[in-house]
Amino acid sequence: MRYSLLISIFICALVGALGGAASAMVVDASMSGSILLGALYGLIFALLAARRAVSPGAGLLWGLGYAFLLWLAIPAGIVPVLMDGMPTMGMLDAARAHFPELIAYTICFGTPLGLALGTLGLFQTELRAERPQPFSWPRAIIVGGLAGIVGGWAFGKWMAQANFFPLIAGLAGSDSMMVGMTLHFVFAVIIGASFGVLFQRDVRGYGSCMGWGAGYGLFWWFLGPLTVMPIWQGNRLDWSYQRGSALFGSLVGHIVYGLIVGLIYAALDRLWVGFFKYSDPINREREGAGSRFLYSLKWGAAASLAGGFLFSLVMLAIGFLPKVANLVGSSSLVVGFIVHMMISSLIGMSYGLLFRHEAPDFGSGVAWGLVYGLVWWFIGPLTLMPILLGGSFVWTTQAAGALLPSLVGHLIYGAATAVVFLILERRHNDWLRLDPRIAALEARLTRPVGTPAPALWLFVLGLGLLLPIVLG
Amino acid sequence: MNKLLRRGLIGGLAGAISGLILALTLNRILLAIVLGLIVGAVFTVAFRPARHVYLDNAITAAAFGVPLWALLSVIVFPLFGSQMPQWTAEGMRELFPQLVGWVFYGACLGLTRQALDDLALSRLGPEIAAPPPPAVEKKRIVILGGGFAGMTTAENLEQVFSADVSASILIVSETNALLFTPMLAEVAGSSLEPTHISTPLRTSLRRTQVVRGKVEGIDLENRRVRVALDPHRRDSSEIQEIDFDHLVLALGSISNYFGNENIKRLAFDFKSLLDAIRIRNHVIDMFERADREPDAGKRRELLTLVVAGGGFAGVELAGALNDFARGMLADYPNLRAEDLQIILVHAGDRILPELSAPLARYALERMTDRGVTFKLKTRLADARPGVVVLGSGEQINAQTLVWTAGTLPNPLIKTLPVELSKRGAVVVENTMAVPGHPGLWALGDCAALIDAKNGKPCAPTAQFALREARTLARNIHAHIKSDGGKPLQPFHFDSLGALCVVGHHTACAELSIPFARDKSVRFSGLLAWLMWRGIYLSKLPGLERKVRVLSDWVIELFFPRDIVQTIDLSEPAASESEIATLTATARS
Ligand SMILES: Cc1cc2nc3c(=O)[nH]c(=O)nc-3n(C[C@H](O)[C@H](O)[C@H](O)COP(=O)(O)OP(=O)(O)OC[C@H]3O[C@@H](n4cnc5c(N)ncnc54)[C@H](O)[C@@H]3O)c2cc1C
Repeated sequence: MRYSLLISIFICALVGALGGAASAMVVDASMSGSILLGALYGLIFALLAARRAVSPGAGLLWGLGYAFLLWLAIPAGIVPVLMDGMPTMGMLDAARAHFPELIAYTICFGTPLGLALGTLGLFQTELRAERPQPFSWPRAIIVGGLAGIVGGWAFGKWMAQANFFPLIAGLAGSDSMMVGMTLHFVFAVIIGASFGVLFQRDVRGYGSCMGWGAGYGLFWWFLGPLTVMPIWQGNRLDWSYQRGSALFGSLVGHIVYGLIVGLIYAALDRLWVGFFKYSDPINREREGAGSRFLYSLKWGAAASLAGGFLFSLVMLAIGFLPKVANLVGSSSLVVGFIVHMMISSLIGMSYGLLFRHEAPDFGSGVAWGLVYGLVWWFIGPLTLMPILLGGSFVWTTQAAGALLPSLVGHLIYGAATAVVFLILERRHNDWLRLDPRIAALEARLTRPVGTPAPALWLFVLGLGLLLPIVLG
Repeated sequence: MNKLLRRGLIGGLAGAISGLILALTLNRILLAIVLGLIVGAVFTVAFRPARHVYLDNAITAAAFGVPLWALLSVIVFPLFGSQMPQWTAEGMRELFPQLVGWVFYGACLGLTRQALDDLALSRLGPEIAAPPPPAVEKKRIVILGGGFAGMTTAENLEQVFSADVSASILIVSETNALLFTPMLAEVAGSSLEPTHISTPLRTSLRRTQVVRGKVEGIDLENRRVRVALDPHRRDSSEIQEIDFDHLVLALGSISNYFGNENIKRLAFDFKSLLDAIRIRNHVIDMFERADREPDAGKRRELLTLVVAGGGFAGVELAGALNDFARGMLADYPNLRAEDLQIILVHAGDRILPELSAPLARYALERMTDRGVTFKLKTRLADARPGVVVLGSGEQINAQTLVWTAGTLPNPLIKTLPVELSKRGAVVVENTMAVPGHPGLWALGDCAALIDAKNGKPCAPTAQFALREARTLARNIHAHIKSDGGKPLQPFHFDSLGALCVVGHHTACAELSIPFARDKSVRFSGLLAWLMWRGIYLSKLPGLERKVRVLSDWVIELFFPRDIVQTIDLSEPAASESEIATLTATARS
């Protein structure tokens, strides 16, 4: 066995054991058992992810996906059947009862394991080839920090509404609104900058970057309000699902914050690259950025016809169309359908812009489409729609529960749009690929296999769907 | 073993094994295994295999467990049980165990698939890529002419052949761009940048080889075309010989001066981009000279612009020049509106014979209001430097004459041993095949094509050329693919109507009503003008060009048209010495 792998295994086992010890202090489990289990998790993770965790950011995502899968398999899946005598695997009650372990797995196993293995990966010369792009600290911190400010501003809207700022001010022993807000923005900037540092290497297009942002936002929901804040305030850690349920609004806020950070980060980052690199005629591509932009819009709109139509069937079945018609002050089905198709073609166009070049194969295309569909469930019916209807958004488990049927529609929409988009994109490129120079360029632009995208899909899709169900 | 089959088998096996886990929460073993098998096969086909990527596979497949649960457990299973989908919060909570089952199944599927992939790799070796298609003999399709007909044929051939390499496509054109002639008048009138209405062949065509050069000879017997690569350079006479299996004649037309050499030498043509650029620069030049001209008669001569021909091209040009020239007066304080004359000479008794009489009358009235003078039922008899002679004997002192009064199919056609129409165009069957010459096709302005349905000759317009090209591409494809066995598609197209701009915010439009034969609706004024802009903008090839033209139009709303002179006019239609000799011969 290679020497470096041995080191990785040793370190991961150690980190896992420490994580196990930490988790045993919060979750009700035996200390020695937890340490042993943690070491085992660490060992397996090192074996599986040693070649994939090429940087701390990549490692973190793999770790998060791994932790979620472990939780689903062990505490929520097998353990209840063996220990508590549940009739089948995966009962909801079991998942709720073992919700603390979900947080423990994320914070005590996934995060430290991923960061540790990723940091080790940084020092391994044989992984250098797989680590994309040179890295720039100023770009990561400045662009990330700016993105954090914008995301923090949006999140702040909910904080103000839910009167959350004084709570944050409590961290500094104050209860003033101003102190709370200042602290909030300080955190937002720090998290944004850390986003840049961790993920700059993996950022390609806007869409994947939003996905990364959503995942990172989710992660910070576990880490921030559920973990760091109580510890800071000297309270007992409460990782129960009731606590999670009470913080559901903050969960949506974190996701929206993450999406915005991801989008702004990608925009500034691409602007940087586009302005300094691709606008130079020497680096000119066969189709200018403008043509590709317009093509993406066109294909996205065309693709959304399929997705939008399927979605409208779901809407029809759940009686949601009149509510959509309400956006233009009507309540007729037909108007609802038209408005719905218009919205979905706009979203399809944005899909085209955000996700071109993201999918090397149909599977990945569908996965991104699903993530995008889910993202729009959080942005659309949960956030924008109430605002457009003249009210204000309610980020509660009840509101989310009522909108679950539409979540399924969003997933279908995303998947169908992504497939059609990929077909159109491929058809266009098939011709281009006859030219070897263009084929090489396309290959360079398209996301390669081996980035932590799958871990992101699992973490975002899994938790995005599971949390509204379990916490409700 | 075929690559997809191998992946499918591996995936099916992995899926069936993992299906056992699915069975734990689905409670129906057979269903779980069958579903597992199908999903496994699809998943494995959709993702390329790689070595030892257990983590990637497990996590990807687990991620897909989530939407599969939403699709199958929540929607499809209840529907099969004649229930509503269980997508309410309560229903989904009920089904939560299956969610865990699906994700767990996915993770197992990913791991098993990877293990089987690795096993197959060590036992069976790497996947065999699909064998390269047997080397077929390539059919060489050569298109002559890069106008509407030629370029659109190439585009459509690319579409029907897509990535099929059994045919190669080559286009020969004198210019390296497609000229969008409907907007040519706006270039002459300085409202559009010249390059904005020409789409480069090389950027719009993807797999077609582009040869810029002038076709000098076509040898049908030996199936070869002679192309002069630098026809305008005196120091080079490079010739390329191009062999073909299929030859498409799309050479368009040239101006017909009815044998009058004087007019031919003195008048501006109005067909190419260069023509439009020359006319614009010439008009500006005339203004510069008139501005310093003390003699009133001479000034008038400089500022008199004569357009011969009252068809679409002539009317649109006269309208555009009228707007341009009258707008320019603001920049030339010494010139007055009375000095300026735009005269349209037309042999018929009304302009725009392609439109109905009331619309033509409307156009005439509006243009007269805007300052254009018409001489109807009048022929252009002759031209001398500074003088235009009309059939009535009247002489107009004018330094500018533009000829749009007649066209003739490309003279190269006459050199071919094929049947020609009275106009001089190639007579073709209604499939655009030239009779008696297999593999020879013709379309556009240089072909005499009869509509297969209504028996009318197809008009020499871009509208027809575009549709002809579409049919022709399909016919050539069918011919090559079936080795001439398949019957070809005869051409039919009902004209959509016609639009003509006559001045600022003023146009006429006559659009056919679909399915109602020979009936049409008429529009005029601002609405027609907006329609013209909307329709032609959508027809302009290339998204990028559309954006550029649109931006020109928007800029024009806020800023005056440009009067910068861009080319040296010492080499217009006739040079000084030629004019001198011409004048001498005319006098004698
Ligand atoms: C000013 C103007 C306005 C018009 N407006 C309209 C309109 O509004 N609507 C409409 O439907 N039609 C309009 N038309 C008519 C339309 O332009 C023609 O019908 C159309 O261009 C015919 O297409 P084509 O491909 O047959 O010929 P062309 O477009 O003329 O193309 C011929 C091509 O062959 C090339 N070529 C010629 N000789 C050689 C050679 N020896 N070697 C190599 N290449 C050669 C030329 O460079 C050119 O690229 C207009 C025409 C003009 C001149």
